[in-house]
Amino acid sequence: MSNRPANLARIVVVATMGLLFAAPVAYLVLVSFAKHWTFPHLFPPQVSAELWQTIWGREQGLASSVAASIFLSVVVAVGSTLVGFVAARYVSYHRWRRGLLFLSYIPFVMSPVVLGACVHVIFLRLGLVGSTAGVIVAQMMFALGFAVIFFASFWNAERKALGEAARMLGATTLQTYRRVLLPISRQPLLLCFLQTFLFSWFQYGLTVLIGGGTVKTLPVLVYLYTGEANIYYAAAASLLLMIPPLVLLWGNRAITLRFG
Amino acid sequence: MLSRSNLDRAGFLLFLILAILPMAASLAYAAGYSVGLVGLLSEGFTWQYWARPFQEGNQIFASFVFSLLVAGAATAITLAIALLLVLAARRSLDNGLLAHLSTIPLALPGTVLAFLVLQWFSGSGIAARIAYALGLLQTPAQFPGIVHDQYGVGIIIAQVIVGVPFFALLFAQLWHNQRIRQLMELAQTIGAGRRQRVAWVAIPLLLHGAFPTVILHLVAVIGVYEVPLLLGAQSPQMISVLTMQKYGMFDLQQKPEAFICAILYTLLSLSLIAVAWRRMKHEQSPR
Repeated sequence: MSNRPANLARIVVVATMGLLFAAPVAYLVLVSFAKHWTFPHLFPPQVSAELWQTIWGREQGLASSVAASIFLSVVVAVGSTLVGFVAARYVSYHRWRRGLLFLSYIPFVMSPVVLGACVHVIFLRLGLVGSTAGVIVAQMMFALGFAVIFFASFWNAERKALGEAARMLGATTLQTYRRVLLPISRQPLLLCFLQTFLFSWFQYGLTVLIGGGTVKTLPVLVYLYTGEANIYYAAAASLLLMIPPLVLLWGNRAITLRFG
Repeated sequence: MLSRSNLDRAGFLLFLILAILPMAASLAYAAGYSVGLVGLLSEGFTWQYWARPFQEGNQIFASFVFSLLVAGAATAITLAIALLLVLAARRSLDNGLLAHLSTIPLALPGTVLAFLVLQWFSGSGIAARIAYALGLLQTPAQFPGIVHDQYGVGIIIAQVIVGVPFFALLFAQLWHNQRIRQLMELAQTIGAGRRQRVAWVAIPLLLHGAFPTVILHLVAVIGVYEVPLLLGAQSPQMISVLTMQKYGMFDLQQKPEAFICAILYTLLSLSLIAVAWRRMKHEQSPR
């Protein structure tokens, strides 16, 4: 009997937080189906699927933005995961491991936009500003920091011993990777791919700065719609922007729960 | 030596060329620009641009203070709510419905987050409509300005929305890793009440375990860009917005100030990262 108030409080906290966590998606779905939803209406006076039926035809840039976002994120994620995987192995077994890892934290934590303003000059000189390649390289600068930190703890003494055993038995570097190291690295490789994909997928400031307005990804489009006060298109583009991260984060959670 | 192959060296070299060297070179360029050694304004070494932040009316230091206060407030509120959540609903966070729902805010990019806060808390937003329905206001103008406000309330709300599930999940994980339940049971055997167990065992252990992540989160919030760009006031501005504004201006005289902002931000961030770094558990090198 004495636990009843505590249980009630627990239920209230869980229900409130659950509603708050679900609110973003629920609201965006509602806005994307709403018509003439202005102050002081608490709920949409009209709902219609018209926006979803016409947006692809009306907004030619939307499909190309989705394609640009997917292309950029996949390239950045694949590149930084693969480079980070082998670079972290070098860092982990280096005598300056701690110093090199500290260096990796700089791009991982610091603001891409502030550092991007400094890097912009180099990209201008290299002719990379205003190009998709420039945005990929700029995003990889930051995603690589994460990838190296992510894999640094993976390369422990046990994995080192495995690699050395394979080499002593006559395996070449590529054979060691292909037959020994890659098969035991599938899960961390996948997790790093998901995280770096999300980093790139979310990126706005760096894309605008280095892309120079010519590389239009989904976050750029959401910003444009929000700036134009076009809330219905902004909500639709926001939902499109949230679907892959949600799928990947739930996938990430499933992988972590499955493999520990 | 068998453990490091040429492939590893090539990967590391790529990491240096793609990430570390451009960053170091660009910061060196920024430093050179800020003292008149390089760039379009270059006329030889001078401290004149570094004197500007100290001049009356200059926004740089105000922007740093504002960024620190906003980040500090957002982090403190985030931690308080996340602690409450993990203490009240840990099981739901482990594998219940909350575990799945908590993923949603983590999937919010900065632009979407800012859009949502704008829609919920602007004068004609959802909060104002609820207040109208309750008879608390008659026009949108009567709703208190909590977006584009000088205290950064909108920015703080946005950062709390995305920060709470992250820290709640982290605390839930720390609860198991640090065996807090067992330690609380131990405290109970020596006579500690429920409040004492929470206040003197659970909360200090959770905060201690999360300390490096809290500092890194603080650095990330100080440098956040999209959210203050859409939700912030004209003045004071968050440091990233001010840097970009000064960098993008047609007035070239503002460019050295953009680089000064970037250098000061880098020094601040490096100091904070170093604090977090000292408290991180570092595995021994497996050499």
